[in-house]
Amino acid sequence: MTNHMDNKPQVMRESKNKIRVDFERTSLKERLKAKYLSSYFAKNVLWYIFRLLLLIGIAFVILKPFYTIVMRSFMEASNFVDDTVVNVPRAFSALIYKSIIVDLEYFKVFFLTLALSLGCALLQTFSCALVGYGLAKFKFRGSKAIFFLVILTLAIPHGTMQSAIFYRFQHLDIFGIFNFLAGGARTGIEGIDAILAKIKILPDTFVGGISTISSVVPILLLSITGLAFKNGLYIFLLRQFFRGVPDELEESAYLDGANTFRTFVQVILPLSVPMLITVFLFAFCWQWTDDFYLQLFFSVNPPQLMSYLPNFNLGDMTTIATIWTQETGSSGKYQQAVLYACGLMACAPLIVLYLFCQRHLVQGIERSGIVG
Amino acid sequence: MTDQVKVSAAKTAPQKKKKIASLDRKKARAGWIFVLPFVIGLVFIYLPIVWESISYSFYNYTTVDGIVNKEFVGFTHYNTALTGSAQFAQSLLTGLQEMAFDIPAILIFSLFVAVILNQKMVGRAAFRAIFFLPVVVSTGIMESIMSTSYGASGGSLELGTEASATEKLESTMALEVLLASIFEGLGFGTGLVTYISSAVASISNIINRSGVQILIFLAALQSISPAIYESCQIDGATSWETFWKITFPMVSPMILVNAVYTIIDSFTTDSNTVMKVINNMYMNPKSDGRYVSAAMGWMYFLVVLLIVGVVAGIFSAYVFYQRRD
Repeated sequence: MTNHMDNKPQVMRESKNKIRVDFERTSLKERLKAKYLSSYFAKNVLWYIFRLLLLIGIAFVILKPFYTIVMRSFMEASNFVDDTVVNVPRAFSALIYKSIIVDLEYFKVFFLTLALSLGCALLQTFSCALVGYGLAKFKFRGSKAIFFLVILTLAIPHGTMQSAIFYRFQHLDIFGIFNFLAGGARTGIEGIDAILAKIKILPDTFVGGISTISSVVPILLLSITGLAFKNGLYIFLLRQFFRGVPDELEESAYLDGANTFRTFVQVILPLSVPMLITVFLFAFCWQWTDDFYLQLFFSVNPPQLMSYLPNFNLGDMTTIATIWTQETGSSGKYQQAVLYACGLMACAPLIVLYLFCQRHLVQGIERSGIVG
Repeated sequence: MTDQVKVSAAKTAPQKKKKIASLDRKKARAGWIFVLPFVIGLVFIYLPIVWESISYSFYNYTTVDGIVNKEFVGFTHYNTALTGSAQFAQSLLTGLQEMAFDIPAILIFSLFVAVILNQKMVGRAAFRAIFFLPVVVSTGIMESIMSTSYGASGGSLELGTEASATEKLESTMALEVLLASIFEGLGFGTGLVTYISSAVASISNIINRSGVQILIFLAALQSISPAIYESCQIDGATSWETFWKITFPMVSPMILVNAVYTIIDSFTTDSNTVMKVINNMYMNPKSDGRYVSAAMGWMYFLVVLLIVGVVAGIFSAYVFYQRRD
């Protein structure tokens, strides 16, 4: 190092306006040696290789099931009996897909699910944003209690309450008012009951509340009120985000004469688009794949939605029904492959959407300032 | 002159105070309006559901001539749940054991992966895309398919294993034996060895459940100022020291959040051992099935709440909050 500093650079005049300065440098070999034979470099290379291997390994664990599902779904039924066939099909067949798309009316299912998920996700995003904003920016008595209740709705396992949820929406009522107005209220005392039965302000269908089962009303009601699947998480995320938005923005909007709601819509919402997209993506995907609430609310007469794709009726699958029954005696691998193919087809639109939007998913969370 | 000023000041002072108070009240009212959708849902839908569900666990309902009769039975359903044939208590213990094992594994794994994904490298975007795929896909439909067994082979077939059930068992057993011999050779205790070998056996499960946690840790890591790392580097700290002295304390609030989220999430998924017992009980054709399942559910919820409280209490004692002035 010190060696070439002492040497004076040689200045040569090449032409009238051009000079050439030659430094005496350490030879290339020496420089390469210093760079690549150091322990620092070795450590970095080792870490790099280790990290790459680890990431590839984890990615493999995540992607392997999809690879297996895709490969098996293209196999012919005979391949499942053949022990030498593992993952690469020996005879290709797209019968399973044909069956799903034609017999189960895949595209109809797709558009129905799209409409439902889109509507619910939009409602959920908006109402969660409202609630999150209210909890983040306004101090009022009871706000902490409400925040605690939001977290509580996340923590209560919904499976616990399924019969209660079902009953509630089968007899939807506001503290018995509908029931009372339709003359359905009973006290057990005969005289009063006779009078109560004479109240006929509302038609008989309102006795015992309105049945909203087998309609989209329950899921929409839950979405509007921010009580649907995992909405507590969205409220929490949005609250954290809005807390990071400087108060000065709103103050200047108030000074300019905007009210709180207008400030929210015209100032706060536009600048929180990344976070809203993240929440919307969560809501859309989880609504799309949700099978708990949908199976609860449509337990009687299920519409054709993606979450019912794996619960298909064998009679509908005319294309593969005979193969299915023939194969029942064997290990059940064929049935499993069909089932997984159904699951994959149900999630396929989500995977495509995810590939386009995954950057937003990360960005929204990154900018949320969720810490603090 | 001065008197007049004083008088006018005294006149305006209370007025001013009143105005501020009314602004506060206005803001409070606006806050209520913003949370109104949730409050309405809570009062008219959610709390009645909770109330009904709790009352299911204490009452017997019988319908006679379209009139629903309630009969208070006290803790009978709870008794049936605990001592009946459903083995609820046993599965609760198993579930707690699983949790004690899974949750540290998920937290450590997701923090580790988040640290790696935060470094600059080739293909980082691709790896991120793959790692968050389970967030989108492996809930709901896929989860319930994976937990259904099909055909004559019996038991739930693990996805992605080409071997038959017995072969798979043999291969994991061999792996566990190998790992155990390695770690025992290194002089670790048997407790740690069994922990690590079973962690390896359930690695796919852990990876698929840590998507959201990685996302949250990644956000936390991004919010740490690079200046802190720079000054550490200048002071000659190794990356190991930097991790424990800077990164770990800075993300500790998110460790708390993630711990709570993981506990709640793993307790409430349908693939959970206890949730399976509760769901089976609910599907039970026996007349008191759903009442007993409600009783089970509420006991379970209390246990979960207790655990969340204990964990949050312990963690929050060690959480470091950066002061921002």
